[in-house]
Amino acid sequence: MNRQRLRRWFEERYDLTEIGRLAGSKLVPSHRYEIWYYTGGIALFLFVLQFITGMVLALYYVPHFEYAYKSIADIVTKLNMGWFFRSLHHWGAQLAIAALFVHLFSALLLKSYRKPREFLWLSGFILLVISIFFGLSGYLLLWDERAFAAVKVATGGAGNLPVAGHCIKAFLRGGIDVTGETLTRFYAFHVSILPLATLFLIGIHVLLVQYHGLSVPVSLEGKSRREIPFFPNLFLKDLMIWLIMLGIVVTLATLLPPEIGKIADPLAPAPENIKPEWYFLFLFQTLKLFPGEIFGLNGETVAILLISCGICFFFLIPFFDRKSAHGQRSPFFTWIGIFYTLYFIVMTFIGFLS
Amino acid sequence: MKLFIFIILFIISAKGITWAQNTIEVFPSASYDRFIIFQTLALFWIGIIGCVIIIKMKLREIERTQKMGIYKEEKTIPLLD
Repeated sequence: MNRQRLRRWFEERYDLTEIGRLAGSKLVPSHRYEIWYYTGGIALFLFVLQFITGMVLALYYVPHFEYAYKSIADIVTKLNMGWFFRSLHHWGAQLAIAALFVHLFSALLLKSYRKPREFLWLSGFILLVISIFFGLSGYLLLWDERAFAAVKVATGGAGNLPVAGHCIKAFLRGGIDVTGETLTRFYAFHVSILPLATLFLIGIHVLLVQYHGLSVPVSLEGKSRREIPFFPNLFLKDLMIWLIMLGIVVTLATLLPPEIGKIADPLAPAPENIKPEWYFLFLFQTLKLFPGEIFGLNGETVAILLISCGICFFFLIPFFDRKSAHGQRSPFFTWIGIFYTLYFIVMTFIGFLS
Repeated sequence: MKLFIFIILFIISAKGITWAQNTIEVFPSASYDRFIIFQTLALFWIGIIGCVIIIKMKLREIERTQKMGIYKEEKTIPLLD
């Protein structure tokens, strides 16, 4: 009875039947590649999880270089379930970035970026970059020696960019070197600037998906295909995958809680065999391929310049691939997509094993 | 199955190594706490698998009615209340 009254209360104010009809009438293509389309939903789910666990951790974290490390140690050792929430936040971030990479490469290989979905690609790509920066800024908040050294290397690398490099480095560090100022700055990025940018971009991305609808691969375009309702069919499938993802994140958080190293000491040398996070390994490994000097120029600067060009080309690929924009097959860009995907996987593995 | 057991054993042993290296314990050290945590994890998975099975059954039922074409609500159907 109460439920009926509540329903009536809402129906007097909102046209629920129309909303339900609208959700039910939205159809999505069903084909053999559809499994790749769930990676976007997985990333969205993990983002939500990150927001929740991040909010919980922010209640106890102290963003000051003298107390940051101790506050995390207290979260892990003294708070009830504190270790679990921190571990959940850590593994949620790892899997969110992994899901975004899979989503990006599947969109690249299925040519989902083609006309009229160029802005979908661009917004998704910027979201990935923001997520990586989320990872880097969150890493420093731990304020242990590994995080300190990793941020020093990453911001130092940005400083090698020609022209604006020094400005970017100074802006990121909040000074010449990585100090307590950097921690405050990264905290601001991590809890306010990046989340706002993420929410804005997710909003645009989801809105564009609704506007354009889900894309179909070029090979299936024009052919008669099955369509299924978004609600409830696809929604229930998404729900199942989200539940399994939740199980995986919880299992990893329980079985492999992230370690806490020694407290950062700006005067101490960087620890030996230090490696960046896995999503930076391909860059790290690429930098190793270049000699110290190329034609009298700094090798690292040349390497970063070339990597930046490669990333820019990747970012603007919808505007270069004219054939798929007209609904034609473009094997050349398929090979480019395969090259980018394999390069990322192989370099990450080499970096991991070396 | 063998592979699954191997992976689980590997994760647990890797975790043991991580504990040994840590300066700060990032996991409750009391064996009772550990037992409760692993027990809860097992129950959590049972819950997840149960939910997935229920959703799968519901989805199958929806697809069956959609195939029959009887899922659309009839506007003119007489109501009893």
